[in-house]
Amino acid sequence: MLRFAGHNFEPLSSGALYWRARQTLLVADLHLEKMASFARRGQMLPPYDTAMTLSRLETDIRRTGATRLLSLGDSFHRADSANLLTPADRMRVDAITEAVECIWLSGNHDPAPHAIGGLCLPELELDGLLFTHEPNKGRTGLVAGHLHPAARIAMDGRTTRKPCFVHDNRLLILPAYGASTGALNILSPAFMGLFHWPALEVVMLGRDRTYPVPVRRLVGG
Amino acid sequence: MAPPLPPIIADWFAARGWAPRSHQLDVLASHQAEASQLLIAPTGAGKTLAGFLPTLSDLVDGDFDGLHTLYISPLKALAVDVQRNLSNPIAEMDLPIRVETRTGDTSAAKRARQRVKPPQVLLTTPEQLALLISHPHAELMFGTLRRVVLDELHALVTSKRGDLLSLGLARLAKLAPDMRITALSATVARPDLLRDWIAQPRPERRTDLLRMVGGAPPQLQILETEERLPWAGHSAVYAHRELYAVIKQHKTTLLFVNTRSQAEMLFQGLWDINEDMLPIALHHGSLSVEQRRKVEAAMASGKLKAVVCTSTLDLGIDWGDVDLVVQVGAPKGSSRMLQRIGRANHRLDDPSEALLVPSNRFEVLECEAAVEAVAEGHQDSEDPMPGGYDVLAQHVLGMACAEPFLAEDLYAEVTRAWPYRDLSREKFDKVLDFVATGGYALRAYERYARLRQNSDGKWRLSHPQVAQQYRLNIGTIIEEPMVRVRLVRARGLKQGRTTGPIGAGGRVLGEMEEYFFGTLSLGDTFMFGGEIVAFEGMKDNEAFVSRAFSKDPKIPSYMGGKFPLSTYLAERVRRIMDSPEEWSKLPDQVGDWLRLQRDLSVMPRRDSLLVETFPRGTQNFLVCYPFEGRLAHQTLGMLLTRRLERMRARPLGFVASEYALAVWGLGDLSALIRTGRLSLDELFSEDMLGDDLEAWLDESALMKRTFRNCAIIAGLIERRHPGKEKTGRQITMSSDIIYDVLYQHEPDHILIEATRRDAARGLLDIERLGQMLSRIRHHIVHKPLHQISPLAVPVMLDIGKEPIFGEARESAMADAADELIREALGGR
Repeated sequence: MLRFAGHNFEPLSSGALYWRARQTLLVADLHLEKMASFARRGQMLPPYDTAMTLSRLETDIRRTGATRLLSLGDSFHRADSANLLTPADRMRVDAITEAVECIWLSGNHDPAPHAIGGLCLPELELDGLLFTHEPNKGRTGLVAGHLHPAARIAMDGRTTRKPCFVHDNRLLILPAYGASTGALNILSPAFMGLFHWPALEVVMLGRDRTYPVPVRRLVGG
Repeated sequence: MAPPLPPIIADWFAARGWAPRSHQLDVLASHQAEASQLLIAPTGAGKTLAGFLPTLSDLVDGDFDGLHTLYISPLKALAVDVQRNLSNPIAEMDLPIRVETRTGDTSAAKRARQRVKPPQVLLTTPEQLALLISHPHAELMFGTLRRVVLDELHALVTSKRGDLLSLGLARLAKLAPDMRITALSATVARPDLLRDWIAQPRPERRTDLLRMVGGAPPQLQILETEERLPWAGHSAVYAHRELYAVIKQHKTTLLFVNTRSQAEMLFQGLWDINEDMLPIALHHGSLSVEQRRKVEAAMASGKLKAVVCTSTLDLGIDWGDVDLVVQVGAPKGSSRMLQRIGRANHRLDDPSEALLVPSNRFEVLECEAAVEAVAEGHQDSEDPMPGGYDVLAQHVLGMACAEPFLAEDLYAEVTRAWPYRDLSREKFDKVLDFVATGGYALRAYERYARLRQNSDGKWRLSHPQVAQQYRLNIGTIIEEPMVRVRLVRARGLKQGRTTGPIGAGGRVLGEMEEYFFGTLSLGDTFMFGGEIVAFEGMKDNEAFVSRAFSKDPKIPSYMGGKFPLSTYLAERVRRIMDSPEEWSKLPDQVGDWLRLQRDLSVMPRRDSLLVETFPRGTQNFLVCYPFEGRLAHQTLGMLLTRRLERMRARPLGFVASEYALAVWGLGDLSALIRTGRLSLDELFSEDMLGDDLEAWLDESALMKRTFRNCAIIAGLIERRHPGKEKTGRQITMSSDIIYDVLYQHEPDHILIEATRRDAARGLLDIERLGQMLSRIRHHIVHKPLHQISPLAVPVMLDIGKEPIFGEARESAMADAADELIREALGGR
């Protein structure tokens, strides 16, 4: 359980956040079609990342019983990616948008609305929370993505680096959900000044579960 | 029968009071009989002249127009040196021969001119050859070629650079029908394989195997020390004083070590006691190129008393004045040792002198084994191996840059390269498909294809820009991603651990491999740039360290040498242990240690595997002694811990050395084995190389590192882009993701296959592990003990010093989460 700004969320090991009170599955930074976008520049990266990300989504929707999907921007790696989906992937996207209510917030990679089902919005306010792509320190109750947070912890000579949820009860940043996405250590400069450090909570993604970890165990790299 | 030497050359020899050596004349005779030849000779036996006598002889008339001889060596420096050595006799004989080098440093204008109007003799590297043959109209440059001279071939054939070179030769054989090959090599285990290697491009041509006989056998000794021999570690600090004395007694000493950090330690140690201010220098791969060149120049002009070096000086130009070679630390293999010894004393009839300095007790055994092997002249060099698919992919793209080709023609040509002689057409087609569109079962990229088929069936580049990308990504040498190491002020780590992002600033000490820092915890101390520093954190491309006030670094940053203990030496070490009658020739300290082991436990036998189990503190240990090298032991450790977990023995970790493996956990292993709940035969059964290996490969960091190299060589990931250079770090991050996606969706993709083959022989050494498991099947000797055995002491001392395997471990997160819960409940 992850308690943030008075609401209860369930962090999933996939990197999604389930908001049971609203039957809403929150995801950030799917970056669909990222590898294909390299192929057009001559780098033939495996064209399977979209299918992998969609499988994760289908599983999470089925397991949680969510009726709404809220994607916090950068859903597609490029503005025109939605049009270049393979027919098979396109059918799966359509199936998802038909099965649940989809809200696609715009991100820096996909600022314009997509030609797929669901609603495309710049940001969304709901139950006192503001959902948007890029985090900032502005207001309490901001839920964002964009930065692809990861944590590395060191315990007795063992170290592990995994994507993570991170929040200080004012700002919550989700890990990147897409199969093709990298991650950035929350100790790196991009996160500087965003959080009130003493209130920081970090939940790392494991294989089948998530792990809340003590902040003093965090290391760089 | 001596071949006729053109008078002008004979006169030149005579004027100097010299006579050509017989092996030099042998090469000439073989060449004049239209044959190719492999000359096996020790370093500095006048090999350059042997290699070029046929060229000089062919060209005395001065009526040859175009490129006659192409010389290829693994080192740029060798090409430059050979040019110098060759220019003198050519000038003295006043021969009309133009000799030029072509390396990465050659100006663009000169390179362009060399393609249009080549010199008669061109000295270059395998990478430059690949570039040259990828140009359209390469036949204009190479059509006249008569000779290819390959230097230090033994060093090339066991690497991917050798694969690249072999493919280049196969193409040259087509472009230059008159071409003959002269290869120069140090002594190797299987000279016949090397001869086949150079014969393959032209199997119909005769290829002679020539050996230079003679030369005095080397004098090899182990340092006899008055000091106490350490149980473990790799620093050989105990020997610094004695080594210093030895250096003083000799003119010039080369001190070889196996890793950069050992070089640092030894260099620092020698300077600490350098009362006479002897000029002692350091040479290893992390130093800047200018620094290395400076050391080499000082060495060549006889200004240095000693150089501490790593394998960076295994090859290279000859230094006549070296009269002693010292190997500090394990010699690893007999051939390697012989080649290093060969760096001393190039006057052939005097014996080379060499000294072995073991850095711990196990290494005494290895040194003893090496002395025996060298005395017998036994060779244990690696054989050349089947070619990598990644290199083939690079070559296929290069050939498309040269001209459109038919798949069957290129396939036939490629099988003329020795490493690819058994390549199936099916695999070739997979590689071709990979080059064209990525080779995925899901054919998603036809519209972005790099190669397309013409209506006549020929494959061509889809866009000229592809050729540009190819040229920027050529080569098989992949630099490890490095991070800058910056000195900052310590932050009092003792109390609060980390509190947030660190500030920037501070002096840059140098660069170090990124993966090393992945294994460190904050506050860990290690040696860098000759001083001991503490790890303070990482930010982007920089690691922060502070000065540590400690005499003893916690992490030796040893990371293992590049080369594992050879199978042959390992076998000899096992034999020495198993032969108490031979222990008398070992130092007393070592003999006593082995006798103690025999009394308190048992000795490992030659053909079995000794497994000891004993409790220590709250944990239980399993220590085994396979002697198969660190890499194979690490893989074994990963697989054993997986299995022990399944057998509910609750393993916690392991540490691997060159000789032994220690696994520890909470379960009482002795009791589990005694009561039959844990079977060692099952635990060590070969089927661990099936499912367990699969499951582990899925997440193995070593597999990902191997994949990264394959992906860069094959051109899946670009190392450089016109205009913007990617940092190594970015490549690492994305290649891990690419591996995950590809491994899960298409585990039989050609690049995964390439990675698997590399890992089996490389970082995971699965091949050797497999051989060991089958050797010891049903030959496991279990010895339950109440306490640690004498033989187990060295590897147990490594615990906490050697980095425990840096795999992603859920247990670390689980323990951290438990800690948080305990805190929340107020139970700190």
